[in-house]
Amino acid sequence: MSVPLSSKTVRDLRSIVGAAHVITDPDRLLAYESDGLTQYRAAPSAAVLPASSDEVARVVERLHGEGIAIVPRGAGTGLSGGALPSEGAVVLGTARMNRILEVDPDDRLAVVQPGVTNARLTEATRPFDLYYAPDPSSQSTCTLGGNVAENSGGPHCLKYGVTSRYVTGLTVVLAGGRVARLGGSGRVASGGLDLTGLFVGSEGCFGIATAIEVRLLPLPASVRTLLAIFDTMEAAGHAVTGIIGSGLMPAAVEIIDRATIEAVEASVFAAGYPKGVGAALVVEFDGTEAGLDADADRAERCCLEVGAREVRRARSEEERLGLWKGRKKAFGAMGRIAPDLLVQDATVPRTRLPHVLASITEIGKQYELRIANVFHAGDGNLHPNILFDRADPDELERVERASHEIMKLCVDAGGTITGEHGVGIDKRAYMGLVHNETELDMLRRVRGVFDADHLFNPGKVVPDAVETPAEPVGSERASAAHAEAGAP
Amino acid sequence: MSATTAFVDALAGLDRSELGAHAGLRRALRGSGLGPPEAILHPSDTAQTAEVMRSASEHGFGVLPFTSGAHREPARPSAATSPNRPWLGLCTDRLRGIEVYEAADLTLTAGAGTSMEEIDTALRANGQWAPFDPPHARDRSLGGLVADGGFGPLATGYGELRNHVLGMTAVTGDGRVLRLGGRVVKNVAGFDLVRAVTGSRGSLAILTSVTVRAFPLPAVDLVLSLRAARLEELLEAAARVRTAPVLPASCLLYERPDGEGEGAVLLVRLHGAASTVDADRTRLAAHLGRPLDVVAADRAAAAVVHARDAAWGRAVRLELSARPSRLSPLLGIVRAMDPVELALDPFTGRLRVGLEAVEADTVETLSASVEAAGGALRVSAAPSPGVVGMGTTLSEDEARLTDDLRRAFDPRGVLWPAYA
Ligand SMILES: Cc1cc2nc3c(=O)[nH]c(=O)nc-3n(C[C@H](O)[C@H](O)[C@H](O)COP(=O)(O)OP(=O)(O)OC[C@H]3O[C@@H](n4cnc5c(N)ncnc54)[C@H](O)[C@@H]3O)c2cc1C
Repeated sequence: MSVPLSSKTVRDLRSIVGAAHVITDPDRLLAYESDGLTQYRAAPSAAVLPASSDEVARVVERLHGEGIAIVPRGAGTGLSGGALPSEGAVVLGTARMNRILEVDPDDRLAVVQPGVTNARLTEATRPFDLYYAPDPSSQSTCTLGGNVAENSGGPHCLKYGVTSRYVTGLTVVLAGGRVARLGGSGRVASGGLDLTGLFVGSEGCFGIATAIEVRLLPLPASVRTLLAIFDTMEAAGHAVTGIIGSGLMPAAVEIIDRATIEAVEASVFAAGYPKGVGAALVVEFDGTEAGLDADADRAERCCLEVGAREVRRARSEEERLGLWKGRKKAFGAMGRIAPDLLVQDATVPRTRLPHVLASITEIGKQYELRIANVFHAGDGNLHPNILFDRADPDELERVERASHEIMKLCVDAGGTITGEHGVGIDKRAYMGLVHNETELDMLRRVRGVFDADHLFNPGKVVPDAVETPAEPVGSERASAAHAEAGAP
Repeated sequence: MSATTAFVDALAGLDRSELGAHAGLRRALRGSGLGPPEAILHPSDTAQTAEVMRSASEHGFGVLPFTSGAHREPARPSAATSPNRPWLGLCTDRLRGIEVYEAADLTLTAGAGTSMEEIDTALRANGQWAPFDPPHARDRSLGGLVADGGFGPLATGYGELRNHVLGMTAVTGDGRVLRLGGRVVKNVAGFDLVRAVTGSRGSLAILTSVTVRAFPLPAVDLVLSLRAARLEELLEAAARVRTAPVLPASCLLYERPDGEGEGAVLLVRLHGAASTVDADRTRLAAHLGRPLDVVAADRAAAAVVHARDAAWGRAVRLELSARPSRLSPLLGIVRAMDPVELALDPFTGRLRVGLEAVEADTVETLSASVEAAGGALRVSAAPSPGVVGMGTTLSEDEARLTDDLRRAFDPRGVLWPAYA
């Protein structure tokens, strides 16, 4: 239920950001009701679109002064409900904060406003033969602010690391509207705590990033891309373990399973996979031209040794895009074969991939659900995608139960409940699988350091202390695991 | 032992030792204003560590964690804690041993007191390594390395240490046990407390176990160098390396009057397959407009260590940083201070300065210039307590957040901070 703001508050907000940039019309607010996780929807009281750090500070001061919560929002591509409006909250969108403030090719850094999209930053730095390394698959739409909040990864983070490795400084608006600067590339000698690193991944709960300083890398000179085709998912999993364990440093290793391939082939994105394939692996190497063929040869051998049916190698940029097509268009294709899609996210140690993937197939069978896997295999970062129809309450219920089983499976295998999409609203109930109450309490305290009154993105990430765990099976298991580890 | 330490005696099963047995810690305490500890305890696991912390917290004792103490920045009581307060040394040397090493997964978990040498040996036996190279890296413990958070020139090619700390078991100032992060390479299940504790120098929690990422050993580790009489003559070459199309594993420009000959050296490492490294070397030379000399294989390892430890062992050590392109005017000011050793990382913009002596007002002048350039300065070693820790202060907001985080982890201020 949306709670309207008082006309005085609306007037004040309009005087800060301009009348056109305060949205209260229910029809226009529909666009802010959910993020990429569309199962959750709620109408905000209003949406405010400031254009500068100063405007953000004044909006925050005004709203927090009245005890009104703020939900930061970038492009809304998040997959854990992070930008879902909470009751009575105002959405603060960064869409107008889309300026690249500085590109310094000499020091290899850039400073951007939070609403700049990931792909645009790389476009802007390309003329200097530089680029921004973290590349979420949503990079053409998602914002740097969202990337910072989620500590996003992407296919090439296998070699290059995730967002936190590249964020060197932040300007943030804290609770009450204080503007603070954290870190900065020239300030590593200050010897202070890594507040920048702590802010990255805070999912909009610590404050709003209004300027982001990032490190850039030289564009790799060359690239080799392989597509390996396997009869079974298990064989593909073994190939990943083999490649990672062999000492090779691929830039990306991505898996697409049978269900995904079928979806892709049945869609307008058909990429020409052979019929009846069990899984495909995209392996990419980048860097100096010399040596790439040798790396690609070794990776090919790793695939063939575990029974790859064939290994294709791109000979041109066009062919490369062709090999990536199935991976890149997977979500779009799946969206066409089922009314609803739940994109799950979890990480397991890479050596456990074959076991975990086999078990996920079993879970799919047990709950009679179609689960399609397409994910960052080199990092052990799974995305089991569950296809369903929310109009079918029985199926919806099975989706919930299967999701829970998958999370438990990953945690039991030594993994975790989210590798890159964040906890948001969706994974809160699973936090007890990986953290005991002492640890959850610590997360609450740290959040309190930044936002004592929980006026930034309330109700996200950390389950409330009083809340009884939604899933008794999970919490039992979690406490057993902790008892084993000797933790209180 | 005073009556107040009766609670220490009640801590069953704990080994003790005397300060006399810890030369490194003794050195670190020099000039700190701290008296000797009431006791030095050697807990053997996380549970005992937690017990010590709970008891110390209850009885109003301070606790200073260390392994050898040799690489600690001098311990200074913070403004909030009285130097006369009784304290315990907590030595992590018994929290030792590799717990889990999944070579195929490139992750390793070890007790905080495990030496980096032991870890390095285990990794190399599997064709892997941990590319973390702050000064004296192999002599440190894993916990000490991570608590310090320091990184060396290899950060250019591999990223700073803090990007590779995947998980930890940490005991808070009041004895709560936190298992943070995990053993997987991507993990966003909750706020990144691993990041907060890494580099907190024992001011938030005591590490008892740490998981780090391992890397495949490069087939070739080629060390290249350029030499000149003074570091300034190589500044432009260093800047060219920074903008080269090839990202080296590391690049350090240093001046050190001992060992490998007088004068300044620009040391560049290239890692990868033989053919890649060969091609990178050619591209780098083309970009610099001059070839770099190859350091002979039998001397390469020593040259790398010599560079890595530059400007570390002097009586006074300054850590300075600025955006790389803004370092050179600052170097002019530093030069006037008569430095004995210098080490400049053209990628991360850090300049370490080793001096025989320094005056407080010289530091102040330098600090003002560094800050005007948007940089930061810290005196991390000096014989006189008033000078250690001088330099850039945190902004009001950073200081507030830091204090509040410390209170969240250590409500009673048990952990002696290594810096105020
Ligand atoms: C097809 C598809 C593919 C994807 N692929 C990947 C992938 O490969 N890797 C990956 O990691 N993710 C992926 N995602 C998830 C998503 O794109 C990322 O989480 C992304 O970083 C979200 O950015 P956004 O701008 O859309 O943020 P939003 O969804 O708008 O917000 C995400 C969170 O960030 C907060 N936030 C936004 N801006 C700010 C700010 N300025 N300050 C503070 N908090 C802020 C919000 O409150 C929210 O909690 C994918 C999503 C889709 C739909």
